[in-house]
Amino acid sequence: MTQTHITWIEGTIVENEVHMTMVELAEAASTPEDLIMAWVSEGVLSPAGASPEDWRFSGDSLKRAKTAARLMDDLELNLPGVALALHLLDELDQLRSQLQVTNISSDKE
Amino acid sequence: MKFKDYYETLGVARTASQDEIKQAYRKLARKYHPDVSKEAGAEERFKEVGEAFAVLKDPEKRTAYDQMGSNWKSGQDFNPPPDWNGGAFTDGEFSGDQSDFFESLFGRGARAQGGRQSQPRSAKGQDQHAKITIDLVDAYQGAKRTIGLSMPTYDAQGQLIMQERKLDVSIPQGIRAGQNLRLAGQAGPGFGGGPAGDLYLEIEIRPNPIYRVDGKDVFLDLPLSPWEAALGTSVNVPTPTGAVLELTIPAGTAAGRKMRLKGKGIPSKEPGDLYVVPSIVLPNAETEAQKEAYRTLQGAFDFEPRTHLKG
Repeated sequence: MTQTHITWIEGTIVENEVHMTMVELAEAASTPEDLIMAWVSEGVLSPAGASPEDWRFSGDSLKRAKTAARLMDDLELNLPGVALALHLLDELDQLRSQLQVTNISSDKE
Repeated sequence: MKFKDYYETLGVARTASQDEIKQAYRKLARKYHPDVSKEAGAEERFKEVGEAFAVLKDPEKRTAYDQMGSNWKSGQDFNPPPDWNGGAFTDGEFSGDQSDFFESLFGRGARAQGGRQSQPRSAKGQDQHAKITIDLVDAYQGAKRTIGLSMPTYDAQGQLIMQERKLDVSIPQGIRAGQNLRLAGQAGPGFGGGPAGDLYLEIEIRPNPIYRVDGKDVFLDLPLSPWEAALGTSVNVPTPTGAVLELTIPAGTAAGRKMRLKGKGIPSKEPGDLYVVPSIVLPNAETEAQKEAYRTLQGAFDFEPRTHLKG
């Protein structure tokens, strides 16, 4: 471990700037490629491109894939179950945002 | 180290059947799953529940755990019995998030493994994930942070070991909660000449007493006195970067009618907005002069706030 002079490591914001191939997404989410293909066919992930070799996943797919993997592992959900859970979580997020904006805030202290 | 009562964690009796244990676990896991629950402390609870289930679902571990007797109470000081054979449990199915209590009983088996894929002959190193908490002002301005991480690396014998490592990371301006920062080549070393893996830092924004954050938008509650709201005024509003904006409050401002300061949210190509949400605070009438002031108010208005309740 040498670490005397400081070089600040610059990162890239995945959600804004990164597009991933299936292989990259599989590595980043520690998930087998066939599971990613299954998620795509179930509509959990929607890459651009026609065939798996051409697929390009937007940056927010990483978070989605990680969530899907955790839900499958931790709660033993099957594919349609994961798809439904993510859909409902999306809705929940939207509703929470709307609540913020209309300020019928539920977390008032 | 404190004793953990795994039965209590799952809310089941010591005599519970395997089915009952599984049901209790499933219910709690769904409730506290960090992807599902926004409750404070949910992630901690989820880990505790998972650890309890890892022991109680496995007949061998459960038997071993039961043999310590039922006199232990949660939180009691605890050391494993001298004849304890923890080495018997190194099947490595655990995530590395276990408590000291768990590790003292069942070993730290899989601590340094992690990851679910087997490695081909030459491969990119494993990607790693970590969370990093920043302040709202860091999202506005960018920041430099030195973070400590436990990272896999190869020792002199070629063994994969975990090592503490410091990283000096530049947090870019405009990053939002829940987004991931990718640091290329900063994770697990490559195998057989392959490149190192990437490190992903998931961003959390520390809760702030003044501002609420939703994506790139930021909300600020602005208390007003009744006369300020009724007559209008001009107030100084602090922004997360410490700048002060002068904001005109129009006469007749209602509580909750938010005012948008366009582009004053978290910056980016399309910056977020800063919303100022007025609330109206009534002062208590304590002195006679103050009470008189309210009475004057009463006399000046023909005001009925409850017309909608009348039939």
